[in-house]
Amino acid sequence: MLNRRRCFAVAAFLLAAGPRDGWAQAIEKASAFVRQTGDKLTAIVNGGQGAAEKRRALTQILEVAVDLDGVGRFCLGRFWRTATPDQQKRYLAAFHEVLVTNISSKLGEYRGVTVTVQRGRAQEEDAIVTTVVERPNNPPTTVEWVIGQPASAPRIVDVLAEGTSLRLTQRQDYAAFLSRNNNDIDALIAAMKAQTAGGK
Amino acid sequence: MSVEIPTRARPAPRRAARRFALAAGLSLCAVLAGCATPPPAGDPEAVADFRQTNDPLEPTNRVFYKVNNGLDTAILKPVARGYRYVVPGRVRTGVNNVLENLGGPVRLANDALQGKPRRAGDTAMRFVINTTIGLGGVFDVAKDLGYPDHDADFGVTLANWGVPEGPFLFLPILGPSSPREVTGFGVDIAIDPFGWIGRGTRAATAASWTKTGVGAVSTRERLLDPVEQIEKTALDPYATFRSLYRQNRKGKLESMRADTRATIPVWWPGANAANTAETPRPTPPAK
Repeated sequence: MLNRRRCFAVAAFLLAAGPRDGWAQAIEKASAFVRQTGDKLTAIVNGGQGAAEKRRALTQILEVAVDLDGVGRFCLGRFWRTATPDQQKRYLAAFHEVLVTNISSKLGEYRGVTVTVQRGRAQEEDAIVTTVVERPNNPPTTVEWVIGQPASAPRIVDVLAEGTSLRLTQRQDYAAFLSRNNNDIDALIAAMKAQTAGGK
Repeated sequence: MSVEIPTRARPAPRRAARRFALAAGLSLCAVLAGCATPPPAGDPEAVADFRQTNDPLEPTNRVFYKVNNGLDTAILKPVARGYRYVVPGRVRTGVNNVLENLGGPVRLANDALQGKPRRAGDTAMRFVINTTIGLGGVFDVAKDLGYPDHDADFGVTLANWGVPEGPFLFLPILGPSSPREVTGFGVDIAIDPFGWIGRGTRAATAASWTKTGVGAVSTRERLLDPVEQIEKTALDPYATFRSLYRQNRKGKLESMRADTRATIPVWWPGANAANTAETPRPTPPAK
């Protein structure tokens, strides 16, 4: 009887405390990950290299720190399943290029950026880490980083600024483009490629 | 609807003009009545997407988006660029602060209607401090004294009361909106005490137009970079603005609701802990 009760107590403890402790650690890990990534990015952004050099360095970091394939799949939404394997491959390649170009062109204009990690919290399966990004002559902005798989392999899956989600906006942009182009995924890939070709 | 064709070969000029007006009116009607075609019912995912987009007037909205874009490119954007070029950053911040401060009373009313005493307190203190020590709102002194700014408008108040957003609207001049937000916009103007002062006098009219004009230029200047970035990176800028606008509105409602700071006098036992308590975190999934 006592044994059973002890078992129950242990189980209850594990249920109540176990996941919470796990989460605390996961959030800790996610915060550290954001701090490291932020440091790496700001070092390059504030550094003295040329634009091409910066872009290459930023690409390297983003390819590792961002779950580009996962975000890409999310952005294609329901069309991911209707796409052929070949289309999926070409789409993801174009998506990598688009995202990295957009981010590095945006960051490339910045100087004297500081990123301060404030706190982390759990949201469903992800961890959200809040940072304050400061630039000279600009009011500080709060940017939230959504980190997927925070406990095992933390990677950025979304960025939230002023209540708007980067990947959700991108997904709705693509959905609108597709609905105006007969749901033609090849047209979308072509438009994405044209964008990065013109943006360089 | 069929238009009766006059049998007379050469209509009088006045009738020609009338016919032209009729034709113009009809084509405008056609534009205004333009509705988005829903996807076939056999594709439930597409139907779900269509419902979520909730933009039944999309063709009309896109027309107004184009019109607004044209007006923006021709007038507002160049003026905002000039404003940025001529006026130093600190002065621009001051102008923005004054405009923000003038919105204090409306914000206070909405904080109260939203049932947020701490936010109402912040707004009241900000208005008093910034109007006096901050020299008419030029300097945001209150922020450094622990009274941060926040947004509050009647659109969010209505949302908090459970009024649904309704379909997306892109309005001439005003831009992205919805029936709920445009109602809120009207109510905010109606309840603004600064709008009551000397109503009808020439001076009050001039002041109100000046405020609107300066507000438009100041806001547009602050949006120069983000808008340019969106236009550069979006495949469908209209859809991107629609998405961003809705997310931003939803975010305002959520951050207002999440502000659950308690109002307990500081001398009450344990008041400090309660007053600084953060909003409850969502419980992590048990795994």
